[in-house]
Amino acid sequence: MTPRSVQGRAGQAWTIAKIELRRVFFARRSFWVYGLALLPSVIFLGHGIDAKTDIERLGRRGLTAPALMDSIREGESLDDVKKRVGQPAAERWSVRSRRVRQRTGNAGTTTHPIEPPVGARFVRLNITRPSFNGEPVARIYEFEVYGPDGRANLALHRPATGSIPCGQDQGPEKAVNGSVTGGQADRWCAADWPLFLQVDLGAVRPVQRFVVKHASAGGENEDSDTREFNIQVSENGKTFTTVGSSTGGGYVDERTEVRQIAYFDGRRRADLVFIDGRVQHRNVRRLLDFEEDRAIFAGIFQYFYLRLAIFFGCLGIFMYLFRGEMSNRTLHFWFLAPARRDVLLAGKYAAGLIASAVIFGGGALLTFAAMIWPHDAVEVQAYWNAGGMGHAFWYAAAAALGCVGYGSVFLAIGLYLRNPIIPAAVLLTWESVNGIFPHVLQKMSILYYLQSLCPVPAPMDSDTPTLIRLLAAPAAPASRPGAMLGLLLLTAFVLWVAGLAVRRMQISYGAET
Amino acid sequence: MTQPAVVFEEISKFYGEVLGVNRVTLNIPPGITSLVGPNGSGKTTLMNLMTGLIFPDHGRILMRGISPRDPEALMRMTGYATQYDTAPRWATGFTFITTGLLLFGYGRSEAEERAWKALERLSLTDAANRKVAAYSKGMRQRVRLAQAIAHDPELLVLDEPLNGLDPLVRAETIDMFRAWAAEGKHVIISSHVLQEVDLISDQVVLIANGMIVAEGKIRKVRDEIEEHPSQYIVRCRESDASGVAALLFGEDHITEIKLNDDRMGMLVMTRDREQFARALGRIALDGHRIESVVPADENVDALYEYLIGGER
Ligand SMILES: Nc1ncnc2c1ncn2[C@@H]1O[C@H](COP(=O)(O)OP(=O)(O)OP(=O)(O)O)[C@@H](O)[C@H]1O
Ligand SMILES: [Mg+2]
Repeated sequence: MTPRSVQGRAGQAWTIAKIELRRVFFARRSFWVYGLALLPSVIFLGHGIDAKTDIERLGRRGLTAPALMDSIREGESLDDVKKRVGQPAAERWSVRSRRVRQRTGNAGTTTHPIEPPVGARFVRLNITRPSFNGEPVARIYEFEVYGPDGRANLALHRPATGSIPCGQDQGPEKAVNGSVTGGQADRWCAADWPLFLQVDLGAVRPVQRFVVKHASAGGENEDSDTREFNIQVSENGKTFTTVGSSTGGGYVDERTEVRQIAYFDGRRRADLVFIDGRVQHRNVRRLLDFEEDRAIFAGIFQYFYLRLAIFFGCLGIFMYLFRGEMSNRTLHFWFLAPARRDVLLAGKYAAGLIASAVIFGGGALLTFAAMIWPHDAVEVQAYWNAGGMGHAFWYAAAAALGCVGYGSVFLAIGLYLRNPIIPAAVLLTWESVNGIFPHVLQKMSILYYLQSLCPVPAPMDSDTPTLIRLLAAPAAPASRPGAMLGLLLLTAFVLWVAGLAVRRMQISYGAET
Repeated sequence: MTQPAVVFEEISKFYGEVLGVNRVTLNIPPGITSLVGPNGSGKTTLMNLMTGLIFPDHGRILMRGISPRDPEALMRMTGYATQYDTAPRWATGFTFITTGLLLFGYGRSEAEERAWKALERLSLTDAANRKVAAYSKGMRQRVRLAQAIAHDPELLVLDEPLNGLDPLVRAETIDMFRAWAAEGKHVIISSHVLQEVDLISDQVVLIANGMIVAEGKIRKVRDEIEEHPSQYIVRCRESDASGVAALLFGEDHITEIKLNDDRMGMLVMTRDREQFARALGRIALDGHRIESVVPADENVDALYEYLIGGER
């Protein structure tokens, strides 16, 4: 094996790769790459454990017949359901309480009887809290006063005075004009403190009942009704006696009982929500849905793994191969080895490739295993026989080929450019918007080929916007052999460009940083 | 039969705008050759050019007949101990050298054997299994030397190899250089202290500001520097230049005088600086008014000052 033979050079590249491998696998900077690669498997493992414990816990309380579980309808009462379906597997209840305004049902009218009747010439309405919503404006549509016979409104069209009104057409006389239907021009309105309305009945008369018509009686929002007030009477207009007052806050606590119970039939869980004892919502779902989990896996693989994890993982590993050694001032050791520069490039690329393919291909398989693990053995067996093994293989292959492609690109970028951030951002943008470009340009993107290799297209809701749909899927996916060939050709081209750069590369430590 | 030589033909290297070396032509036969010059004169640049760590902008380099652009052939017979004081973080002295040797195609056991031998030659066996990053400066210098010699090269390029060595190791190292030179190898070392190398060198290359100033056997180099015609610009007051020039022409160390058109300045070439200085003193005592004397050939003069300064 002479050193200058092809075999000799391959052996040398392999020696370089072996030396570099240890560094790539165990460098501290590789730890976040492991993190990226293992994150999805951790998520699926968590999901599986969660579902398994749920099944175990619910199953221990007894199973419900599936047909019985499906028979529950909305509107059924709690007792009926329990009597018919049996003891639930889980039950929780709570009381929701909410402060609401007391509904009087009389549309903003309050009545204040006085027992026994008093004699009065002047009657006065003092408003202390003019509204429920905090607005400091008093609005009274009518203020009526009745004697013991209760028929005639003694205040009607009598002279009225009060706090300065909000507007010329909203004076105190509007509260004694016998009408509430004329809109805002039919009310007394005032914002000037103290808020009061006073009517002169003309002579001292026995008074037994007051009726006040507030904002909502005139068609305004209930929140504008008067919240606190009192009524005073006087015979001489100087000394007043309080004879009535509003009942206070006018709020009550509204209590609703919410009961959540769950039935479990061994695979499906029915969640029922009872409001005040009646079924309000029912939701039946499988605790472990293999098909759904596979779709989620396809989504995570395409959107997270290929686009982000492998992309940034390869950035971290491959950019470092030359650029990192330049900034550590150790690159010259390699350049002083009796090896052609392109052999050095090949060795370093091989090291990065083996490491990243093991990390990400392994990560993909591990995630796949974590996704499958909690599911029913029979179901898994069926899937496995119907091409599941092929799926696993192609996921791992797509991950490994992703490392082939992205690795070469980042190796080349690391040879030409010093700062990885801008080229990485440009490349990420290019890779992700590439789908909307004409077909020829699409072939210049790694992701295009990787997507064509994935066994299952990424899941997409039917209401996904067209643009995203275009971004997420290649317009015309390549066939598998075509995709692999295309990716390898693209990689070979990029490596050739990298070879040009590494042959011209010079050690210049001073100018670094 | 021609000896294998290190040949530089009209080599220039610029770092952007900064001059590295300019139009260097060299022909170095085997033996110990020292590149001597002050800091920043271009010694490391020359050595990096020899080993293909950087490439020249102009000119051609042949290292015993091999171009530095062919590291596969060149580095097999070349060892370079650089000035860069770094080592990979993971490396112990022993793994550092062994790993380097694996790239030469040696099997592991042979690589380890050679690494051990190299460490032995530089008395580093005690520290062999410690991290290089934890070595002292002199030990790191030695481990770089050990790495350069581990594969038994015919051509050794050593950047300031004696720097930081204690007297005992230094003496041993120098003996080693002599032994290699006797075997017909090239040992090219750099230094910025002439006395450190003039006794051991077969030839010395003096370099200043990126240019070769003198080259040859050490005695010859000194003479050459002394005899190298120096140029001075002499300016006089009151258009007295022609008078001064007439007097200077009487001195036999003056080779050439060019008078300026303004009759105040002249360019003088002399073979002997000290006699020239004495002559100027006499002329000034005669009443001629000399305003300034500026060396026009800074490279040589800077190096001359530096050599003189070094001998004090
Ligand atoms: N990477 C570089 N980028 C820019 N300029 C450089 C670079 N390397 C060297 N130079 C410049 O080239 C000139 C020669 O430098 P060189 O390192 O060859 O000097 P040297 O003789 O080895 O000095 P020293 O004795 O300090 O090691 C200096 O002016 C230096 O500033
Ligand atoms: Mg130097």
